[in-house]
Amino acid sequence: MNFEWSVVIANAKFLLVQGLLGFGIYGGGTLRLAIPAILLGFVVGIILGLARLANRPWIHYPATLYIELIRGVPLVIVIFWFWFLVPVMIGRPVPEYWVALTAFVIFEGAYIGEIIRAGIQSVPRGQVDAATAAGLSYAQTMIYVVLPQAIRNMIPSLVTQFIVLFKDTSLASIIGMMDLTKAAQTVSERELRPFEMYLFIAVVYWCFTYSMSRFAQWLETRMSPDRVR
Amino acid sequence: MIFGFLGMTYEFKWSVLWVQPHLTWLIDGISTTLRLAAISWCLAVLLGILFGAMRTVPFRPVRIVATAYVEFFRNVPLLVWLFFWYFGAPEVFPEVVRQWFIRHGIEFWSGVAAISVYHGSRLAEVIRSGIQSIPKTQLEAGISSGLSVVQTYRLIIIPVALRLIVPPATNESLNLLKNTSLAMTIGVAELTFATRQIETYTAKAVEALSAAALLYLVLCLSISTVMNRLESKFAIPGLIARGVKAEH
Amino acid sequence: MKRSGMILLVAGLILTFAAMAAAQCPSTLDKIKNSGVFTIGVRNGSPPFSFINKQNERAGFSNDLAMLVHKAIEQKLGKQVKLEMKETAPATRIPLLTSMSVDLITETMTDTRPRRDSVDFSLTFFVTGADFIVKKGSPIHGTKDIAGKRIGTQQGSTNERVLREKYTQAQLVSFPDQAAAFMALQQGKLDAYCNDAIQLWGLKYKSSDPAQWEVVGDWISYEPYGMAMRKNDSDFRAVVNNALMEAIEGGEYFKLYEKWFGAKSDVPYPMSQAFKTFLLYQVVPK
Repeated sequence: MNFEWSVVIANAKFLLVQGLLGFGIYGGGTLRLAIPAILLGFVVGIILGLARLANRPWIHYPATLYIELIRGVPLVIVIFWFWFLVPVMIGRPVPEYWVALTAFVIFEGAYIGEIIRAGIQSVPRGQVDAATAAGLSYAQTMIYVVLPQAIRNMIPSLVTQFIVLFKDTSLASIIGMMDLTKAAQTVSERELRPFEMYLFIAVVYWCFTYSMSRFAQWLETRMSPDRVR
Repeated sequence: MIFGFLGMTYEFKWSVLWVQPHLTWLIDGISTTLRLAAISWCLAVLLGILFGAMRTVPFRPVRIVATAYVEFFRNVPLLVWLFFWYFGAPEVFPEVVRQWFIRHGIEFWSGVAAISVYHGSRLAEVIRSGIQSIPKTQLEAGISSGLSVVQTYRLIIIPVALRLIVPPATNESLNLLKNTSLAMTIGVAELTFATRQIETYTAKAVEALSAAALLYLVLCLSISTVMNRLESKFAIPGLIARGVKAEH
Repeated sequence: MKRSGMILLVAGLILTFAAMAAAQCPSTLDKIKNSGVFTIGVRNGSPPFSFINKQNERAGFSNDLAMLVHKAIEQKLGKQVKLEMKETAPATRIPLLTSMSVDLITETMTDTRPRRDSVDFSLTFFVTGADFIVKKGSPIHGTKDIAGKRIGTQQGSTNERVLREKYTQAQLVSFPDQAAAFMALQQGKLDAYCNDAIQLWGLKYKSSDPAQWEVVGDWISYEPYGMAMRKNDSDFRAVVNNALMEAIEGGEYFKLYEKWFGAKSDVPYPMSQAFKTFLLYQVVPK
């Protein structure tokens, strides 16, 4: 079989500038989607994690229901739901980017919520008791005592989940958002060079996720040198 | 049943789900999903045990090969792998092999290849964590009793590791089941594909997507219930901390 | 018990969520006026109607026709309106239209009576029929040869429906989009690909080696193309139809036809006299 890498070189600008970064006539962009999704997903995750641990049933049960529902359903289905529902609820066309962003934040928020819940629960109960004994309110306990320790525990799992989110952005191509995967698809179908195109973007994805996972390992050793295996 | 809201009506027609031929599509879709998941899962477990164990042996070249496999395959999105295995990889095979696959459901087998190799690399990490949480003394004891390294792994380490890693392994297995939905992009007629097809023929998107969501929920909940029972049945008494965390 | 209770609750949630889906539905012209955006549905790989060219830009005959409609809308509303193009595919275009993600499907949608239950169509702006594209020398010459063969189609297309209902002996393989299906054909994964004849000619001529492909068959179905829009929106429909009639009457349509299907174009396809007459008869008097 003969390979034609010239196709990759000719379209590299389109793939990287439009597909990866998101600058161009098609909107979209893997990084343009991933970075806000990670930040917003983190915020939603904190809210959900705290809600799941709340004592009041009217906060606790909806949060649990939401998390269980999302975790039992493939991301593709969630994306399709939002693809059909968001424009109807807003009443105007919505670019795929915003549909994808909404779907990702809702989906990943549930998973991050679970990580945060596990992180909070890993903080010894004695800390909360001591804080209460010292006269701190629930909010103060959370903000100054529990969350800082919890976040330290869960940074590895969080970064892991962020890496998953980064890879999941490729699913936005299914609804037509011009990310790295969709750009490669467009070019490979026109030029008929799928092997070269998909191998190229595999390498690009790999560069990002591998760096992120090395960063996670570095963080793990930095944050808790006593716990490294 | 018609629902009117702010001037526009959407006519709910849940019967589209159980009328023929839609019901057949759904049932075929579920069966394809289960087949795809089951076969990929078995292969992924085999690959996972193999490479997970390889990452822990006291022999560096083997560890490097295993690390390369894991790091290469799990850091790339599964969707890209699906396209690669369906559109890209078959081109490098000789014509005879290709023609055989084409006649025998190449879409399905490309899906199996992509999913099992990808999840195999993830399971390898889970199994590696499991093996590494077993005290090294077990390995030393096995070797000093006269067993070879391979035998020690086969008879002592791996059985214990497998029982340790049931929670994250359940997580990964559920992920595998949910990821089978991606196979629709290469034409595998699994559950998501079937519900999309109902929707294109009837324009009843809400009913079709609800059916999809509900069916996946049922499948996932059943599997996790079974795995929870297995976990309590196979729990190793005396070991409190699982010691393993779910990798990406 | 807790788990099944959860499932019931979830089902209830889905129903509530779904009920919200039946939300407001303003007229399209109002919607365009308020949002300032006119969104059309286009394709990525259906040359020469709607595709992405070698410069990675959107182009095509249908795209150009849509721009004429865009101008007409701006004239009607008396203000500037932004034109946005969104990718649609046979399987996704009707839901995207009804969910208001797009306002007008302008790519290659066939006007059929069942589809008119869900959407409204403009005038017919192209006429073709379904055929097969095969590798040169293939034993397939028409529908009598397709039994047991792997035939590719697009999910949700009229061609898929026809093959599924009338030619059950053929082994149907459905792809989300034409480009993927054609690639599968080129890789030998399909024995033939079924789509509207003019699009197959587009694929043939745009491929790297046109001589390698043959379009065979005898219009196994009649495929008139119309632009699709939401139902019960007569004002918008009038604007679209007027724009098309102006284009035919004033000659713009024929200029575009020459550009994309003329003798010097990539996909030469001379206009038949019957088609020209049909087009002219659709133009009602001013």
